[in-house]
Amino acid sequence: MDPVKITIDGKEVVTSKGKTVIQAAAEVGVAIPHYCYHPKLSIAGNCRMCLIEIEKMPKLQIACNTQVAEGMGVFTQSPKVLAVRKAVLEFLLINHPVDCPICDQAGECWLQDYYMQHDREESRFEVGKVHDRKRTIFGPNVVFDGERCIKCTRCVRFCQEITKTDELTVVNRSDHSTIDLFPGATLDNPLSANVVDICPVGALTDRDFRFKVRVWYLQKTSSICPGCSTGCNISVETYQNRIARFKPRVNEAVNSHWLCDEGRYCFHDLTAGERLTTPMIRQEGGLVPTSWNVALQMVFAGLRSAGPLAGILSGRNTNEEAFLFAKLVKMIGIEAALEVFYQERELTAVQKLLVSPDRSPNFRGARDMGVANDGFDALLAKIINGHYTAAYVIGEDLVASAAQPEKVRAALEKMSFLVVQDTRLTATAELAHVILPATHFGEKEGTYTNRQGRIQKLNAAVIAPEGVMQDSDIFIRLLDLAGARNGFQTAGDVFAAVAREIPAYGGLNYDAIGDQGIELGSGGGGAS
Amino acid sequence: MEKVLLRNIGVCDSHTLTVYAAHGGYAPWRTVVESMQPEQLIELVKASGLRGRGGAGFPTGTKWSFVPKDNPKPKYLVCNADESEPGTFKDRLLIEQDPHAIIEGTLMAAYAIQSHTAFIYVRGELAFGAIRLERAVEEAYQAGYIGKKIFGSNYDLDLIVHRGAGAYICGEETALLSSLEGGRGWPKVKPPFPATHGLFGCPTVVNNVETLAALPWIIEHGAAAYAAMGTEKSKGTKLFSVSGHIARPGVYELEMGYPFKKFLEEDCGGVPNGKKLKGVIPGGGSMPVLCPDEIENVKLDYESVQAAGSLLGSGGVIVMDETTCMVRAAWNIARFYAHESCGQCTPCREGCHWMEKLFHRIEHGEADGSDVDLILNISGNIMGNTICPFGDAAAMPAAAFIKKYRDEFEAHVAEKRCTVRGME
Repeated sequence: MDPVKITIDGKEVVTSKGKTVIQAAAEVGVAIPHYCYHPKLSIAGNCRMCLIEIEKMPKLQIACNTQVAEGMGVFTQSPKVLAVRKAVLEFLLINHPVDCPICDQAGECWLQDYYMQHDREESRFEVGKVHDRKRTIFGPNVVFDGERCIKCTRCVRFCQEITKTDELTVVNRSDHSTIDLFPGATLDNPLSANVVDICPVGALTDRDFRFKVRVWYLQKTSSICPGCSTGCNISVETYQNRIARFKPRVNEAVNSHWLCDEGRYCFHDLTAGERLTTPMIRQEGGLVPTSWNVALQMVFAGLRSAGPLAGILSGRNTNEEAFLFAKLVKMIGIEAALEVFYQERELTAVQKLLVSPDRSPNFRGARDMGVANDGFDALLAKIINGHYTAAYVIGEDLVASAAQPEKVRAALEKMSFLVVQDTRLTATAELAHVILPATHFGEKEGTYTNRQGRIQKLNAAVIAPEGVMQDSDIFIRLLDLAGARNGFQTAGDVFAAVAREIPAYGGLNYDAIGDQGIELGSGGGGAS
Repeated sequence: MEKVLLRNIGVCDSHTLTVYAAHGGYAPWRTVVESMQPEQLIELVKASGLRGRGGAGFPTGTKWSFVPKDNPKPKYLVCNADESEPGTFKDRLLIEQDPHAIIEGTLMAAYAIQSHTAFIYVRGELAFGAIRLERAVEEAYQAGYIGKKIFGSNYDLDLIVHRGAGAYICGEETALLSSLEGGRGWPKVKPPFPATHGLFGCPTVVNNVETLAALPWIIEHGAAAYAAMGTEKSKGTKLFSVSGHIARPGVYELEMGYPFKKFLEEDCGGVPNGKKLKGVIPGGGSMPVLCPDEIENVKLDYESVQAAGSLLGSGGVIVMDETTCMVRAAWNIARFYAHESCGQCTPCREGCHWMEKLFHRIEHGEADGSDVDLILNISGNIMGNTICPFGDAAAMPAAAFIKKYRDEFEAHVAEKRCTVRGME
């Protein structure tokens, strides 16, 4: 990379050859307003919002398409630049309905933001706005409002360049230009909802999220998508202790700017249904509520006297939970086989851009922690064959997810001891001798290791209902009963133990994981 | 003055190869292929001083020399026959009456940049002209002027006539290329420029019909003969399309630097019916209008017209007499640009319609006092801020009409009616 020296608003900046002015400015924290420019899409240059002044050039230039050159003097705040920003904003708004009170984008709209920063003038337009299509369904997840659209073509370019599915195009001319589907096309590719994220205005909105909550009420928590083992970085956005939506967080090492539709909406299934809020034990008449003390005592006693035990951990359990689970089973010292739930499926070419074939975001981490045997399928086959007389199933509905549910049900029914630790009364839980009400991905803190071996941090976005216990606390309590006094209080404490005891995680520091994660083997001591 | 461009016009069956060849046609092409290196041809055209006749007046030889010689990609030559500038109909005459001159010039330009595939992009509405071009290309293929191993040399060249679909913007070279590629007729963001990243991302030169049609004459008579005509900076001859309130409208070929007033009054017979001249647009609808007193000493060359405050552009001369309502004229032009804006970039997409609506209001007596200044302000906000020159083309005439005929606009606003026509 050849260094290039330029000045931005009089300040000297060293950047590198090939960079554009908008990139060089962003590197030093100068945000040049823009709509059509997106770092992952081709340069369109159509919004004209990023016009800036360059020394010795008579005309203003667009910062997104101007490459830096040695000695270039860039002005982003000169009177000419400020004036053209106002002018462009005025042009963008003359045919805009300004229906912010009913627009879902309000609060995160680039028209609103830039208007407040750069314009704040009364409208001079009084000659009749151009009308366009309202609430036009583009696909299962995306709805279009033509009047709010500023024709930046980010959505069109996304479908051309990222998914290469080409559903969208621009039709008509001049101020009747608008975005439309190609005849017969539907915007239903596996990444379709990303167009909502990259739409800077309220033209494309999310059919699942819209009208649910005004965005300024949302609480945002950095976390990891629980959909698959790609481990896309997300922001879990909640309102009144409920998850309202997932938004992708930028992480170039994992998901870039994107999130697949399946992952984006997976929280619905993972959080739906009535929660279990009290432990239950099986008595003559069926499952009856009990206290945590009784339930945990029963589990401990049951495990200690169990025959061969099959332990199945959900792929959504964290590394810390997996570590504790493996430790617990080892401590009790019975014959046991542990596995993490893992099923693969076929993916389409577009899915493969982002999606992994499993639905177990932390299968790799769980195996690293010792929850590993001969593979999940082999273990399930042995369960069906009646090899195990006891099972401890965490966070997965083995019956419902099996290819042959009846065989799994029959095998579990024959068990002399079955513990199910889950958030809901699943078909599997109904067969249990003890049910422990636990937490889902959105309620816990910890780490996932994705398919590529990147350790990333999960954060609690919502508070678990009263009566349930964190999975890690359940394992810690059971370990206590087994006589271990580990003194674990937080996920960080457990991770410190992981870093001490699991060679591949040696020397890793919980706080250093940050919100971008760290690659296994890059965290200091490593496997040595 | 010897005619360069209109020399075959008026000859019976001038559009056929037989007649064209009988008048010396394709002999210059043979000279080029048999005895000239591409660099020699480029130097010769540079020496002739020929400048692009599409409107911008960029030196043709220089444009060719921008094509990188070491680029392994194919190179393309495109003849821009998408003539659609309001008030301009000079290319149409050549296309219909002298298609072989265009073809011969196109072949030479292609040879200069060593292109092996050339296109003539002809405006969709010129259906008759397109047929003539297609037939002429067929004739030239049969005669061996186009195709494999031309004149027994190692040079191969194919020429394809492509019909546009009638969008004004496709006359802008990068929009033309987008359209030729099969995409929307949208101008491309520059840089990169067509010379390095043009058609299908390959080095491309786009030349206007009139520019190319001058090449055979230049080869035949030499660069010096061409450069001997015209002014110091504007060499040769240029076609002018004259329309409007004028006694003898039509296409004229003039030596560059010809006096504008003399041209209108003597060659074109002046404003008919004893009316007085009110204004004249010298270079097609997108150029600023000039008042009678502004053209007193103007000469028809790039520099002189620019010094007078307008541009020579395509040479589309639109004459308006004293009965013309300048508000209506401005509105008419604004309406054209509002309709033809491609809609790609913000200032043009939104601003052209806004101006059109305001002109409409003024003409129909519905304006309020600030509308005239508002149009000036909008046109200033469009100027220079768009992807392609279309924004300027819409903004310049709007501002010029207001600045030069402001009283008329004020009167429309004050009296809430058209004060010239007296009918609205």
